[in-house]
Amino acid sequence: MTDATTAVDAVGSPDAQPGRTRRGARLSEWSALYAMSIFAALVLSAILVEATGGDWRPVVSALLDGSVRRPGRWGETLATAAPLLVVALGTVISSKAGLVNIGQEGQLYVGAAVGAYFGFLIGGPGPINVVLILIIGAAGGGLWAGVAAGLRYWRGVPEVLSTLLLVTVGGQAVAYSLRWEWLLLAPEGRRGNRNQVSEQLATDNRLPRPDFFGNEFPLTVFISVVLAVIVAFALSRTVWGFRLRMLGRNPRAAQRSGVSETRYGAMALMLGGAFAGLAGAAMLTGGGFAFGNYQMVPGFSANIGWTGLLVALVAYEKPLAAIPVAVVFAGLRTGSSFVGSTGVEGRITDVISGLLVLALLIPAAVMLLRDRRRARAAATERV
Amino acid sequence: MSHSELGDAGTGVTNSSPVPAVQLSGIAKRFGAVVACDNVDLALARGRIHGLLGENGAGKSTLMKMLIGLVLPDAGTIAIDGKTESIHDPLTASALGIGMVHQHFSLVDALAVWENVTLGDAGRLDPNATRNRIGEISEQYGLVIDPDKRVGDLTAGLRQRVEIIKCLRRDPSIVIFDEPTSVLTPEESEQLFESLRHVVAAENRAVVLVSHKLDEVLHATDDITIMRQGRVVDQRYSTDADAPTLARAMVGREVSLRSERAALGIHSLDDTDLDDVEPVEPDTVLPATAQPVLRIDRAVAHDADGVVALDEFSLEMHSGEIVGVAGVEGNGQRALGDVLSSLLTLSSGTVAVDGAVVPTGKSGAMAEAGIGVIPEDRHDSGLVLDMTVAENLVLVDQSRAATRGLIDQRRLHAFTEEMIEQFNISCGGPTAPMWSVSGGNQQRVVLARELSQEPKILVAAQPTRGLDVGAIEYMSHRLETAAASGVAVLLISSELEEILELSHRIIVMHSGRIVGEMSRAEANFETLGLLMGGAAA
Ligand SMILES: Nc1ncnc2c1ncn2[C@@H]1O[C@H](COP(=O)(O)OP(=O)(O)OP(=O)(O)O)[C@@H](O)[C@H]1O
Ligand SMILES: [Mg+2]
Repeated sequence: MTDATTAVDAVGSPDAQPGRTRRGARLSEWSALYAMSIFAALVLSAILVEATGGDWRPVVSALLDGSVRRPGRWGETLATAAPLLVVALGTVISSKAGLVNIGQEGQLYVGAAVGAYFGFLIGGPGPINVVLILIIGAAGGGLWAGVAAGLRYWRGVPEVLSTLLLVTVGGQAVAYSLRWEWLLLAPEGRRGNRNQVSEQLATDNRLPRPDFFGNEFPLTVFISVVLAVIVAFALSRTVWGFRLRMLGRNPRAAQRSGVSETRYGAMALMLGGAFAGLAGAAMLTGGGFAFGNYQMVPGFSANIGWTGLLVALVAYEKPLAAIPVAVVFAGLRTGSSFVGSTGVEGRITDVISGLLVLALLIPAAVMLLRDRRRARAAATERV
Repeated sequence: MSHSELGDAGTGVTNSSPVPAVQLSGIAKRFGAVVACDNVDLALARGRIHGLLGENGAGKSTLMKMLIGLVLPDAGTIAIDGKTESIHDPLTASALGIGMVHQHFSLVDALAVWENVTLGDAGRLDPNATRNRIGEISEQYGLVIDPDKRVGDLTAGLRQRVEIIKCLRRDPSIVIFDEPTSVLTPEESEQLFESLRHVVAAENRAVVLVSHKLDEVLHATDDITIMRQGRVVDQRYSTDADAPTLARAMVGREVSLRSERAALGIHSLDDTDLDDVEPVEPDTVLPATAQPVLRIDRAVAHDADGVVALDEFSLEMHSGEIVGVAGVEGNGQRALGDVLSSLLTLSSGTVAVDGAVVPTGKSGAMAEAGIGVIPEDRHDSGLVLDMTVAENLVLVDQSRAATRGLIDQRRLHAFTEEMIEQFNISCGGPTAPMWSVSGGNQQRVVLARELSQEPKILVAAQPTRGLDVGAIEYMSHRLETAAASGVAVLLISSELEEILELSHRIIVMHSGRIVGEMSRAEANFETLGLLMGGAAA
């Protein structure tokens, strides 16, 4: 290894990218990579199950049952995919501007809590209140990310740190508000046997859940797909998206061209937060048993923020690609909830779904790493 | 057009050693519809320096990248010292003793020179050993540099030295230089090639030099290969070549002698033919009473480290004049360009366009006021490599391709096709990503964008960097037409010929100040040279 520099240059040089003719080759390369890593994860999981005294066949079967096969399950999977997708779309927006927002979990949680607070406070007539909750939820998430934006552009605190820290702070804040009746805590008689829970949204304050062949899911599924199309269009076809991408790819060219880093960057970060907040409000109003059942509870965000971030990563920052990726991640989630019924220990189930998520991430991570190197080299190349 | 002087190109120039160090045979490479290399045969002999010439986009860099394993050939073979090798990555190339200095820099601004030199090395770093090695190379090749300087603070010429040292540090026996001298002064490149010549002879190395400076190629090389549109169109000994013939072979037509002078990079302080250069009289310059289109008033600016870059710099420009800024690199030229690109905020002083003060450092303000900029470093603020050619053409002003906030793809593509045609940009089409475009063609994209925007003031910093002789001719013509149509052109160049050829008025910068000012008629190499060195006017 006398000459690793040239290797770095090799991957790093923008000119090192293969031409269009090799795009097909690359695609199959990546497919192979995906197939390999998923297969490896499955084999590892099977070994794990067998080693702990189980049988791997029923586990696979349970995964499929839980995600698609059993009646009503694919509806549940889509219902889970929707907030994942919305979070991922926000993440795509902030990363296009060159920002690393990793605080979606907190933005989602705060968004949902703020939405819930004002929803109960206003308590207007049905549909209007639902829309209000969604809008306020988005605003809440956006403002929460706005704190990070403020820290970044006026104090120079890297957004990677601040967004992450704000997850913890947000978690504490919501937990606190769930302890006080003047905030979110439901009045004494309506808490059931729980002590940190908000009231349930009135039936007319919930998103409709249409039913397809015995599969029901909230309207958010459609909303999220429409949002994906809008985001894809906005990023590729509008002047705004053009300028955002410019900022992400070459901040100095952007500065000269009138794309203010403060304005566009803060906007992108806050939009990312707003999408996460919207996802939270959608989980609240779209409900389903998996998401707190129309009320705020501790742990309401249920890792949807983190997983949504992963979806964006695996989708390689492409809004439309995030749709299928979100469905796959959602399927993993709904599927593994069935694995417990095979008698396999809960912790093993967690490890298995962890392995599968990892399998989905590895190719993307390789891809991202390559891209980062290229981007960095591009940024530092001089004539 | 035939492989005239060298006989069969397959065997090439082999007079110093029977087996060529490198033998490329039948090399082909396509990128989609673009044929970058087409059945190329090339032999590099040990103990000789081989010049590789060709228009922008002729395939020179691509061919060289195949030698270093950055690009894989579609067809053909590469033999090193007679043995056929498959060079599929740079590690293989480096194991075979092949090193390359790339056309574009790949340095990390935030790191020191010595750190950049060791970048990517495995194992523990030994700063002192590296510093010593840098010292040795500096001495041997005349590339003096302070190993502890931060690369971000270096001028383009010094960065180029770092790149060269980075390559030579490993003592490659086959060295490729892809336009290494576009940012070096003629003296520097002369010294570099002088010392290379000794090493090449003494240690039997093989060297390739890609360059657009015909004069330099003629002096530094032993053999010359000329490429056009991916093919080898001529091979000859340097002793049998002269600049006009080379230019004709490259471009396929006669190139006017005057701009050839700039392209050739003839720099000599006692150039007596200078008077042949017809002085350009600024007949369009307005009377002194007219309001200047650009007025910089006692501008003070500091660079990232707080060092004064502009020191009470004042300048007035009138519409229609070309003002040449002469000076040794690193005397505030970059800061001047940055201020006029809204990239640097003045500590004191003002910039006014048409009498209206423009806030400095406010994003987009200068562009809005009508200042176009061809930056000295196209990758810095001139281009977004990850966006397409079409997008890069409307980087500063999207309005010509947008309706109510939406990009109109049809109009964008029509405009792009027009620019590609007008500026002869060779690329894979409007949607080709910028990084896939050859260096000279990237420069053309910047020129096309800035000129098409019809600025009031055009800052052109090293506008011809990386361009081939034909394009330089076209560029000079475009700058003159722009001035004739009323644009005030501020030409910042490290090539005195370029300044003398185009400018109506010349200012000399030293330590962030103007130390001399004269009309073109008064200017000559000698006075300029003295002023650039810091002598009082
Ligand atoms: N990775 C790539 N993808 C697509 N096209 C490419 C790629 N690399 C080079 N090309 C195309 O191949 C052609 C040859 O490019 P190359 O960089 O070899 O030119 P060059 O002779 O070095 O020109 P210059 O003098 O401008 O540096 C160009 O038309 C360029 O657009
Ligand atoms: Mg090149």
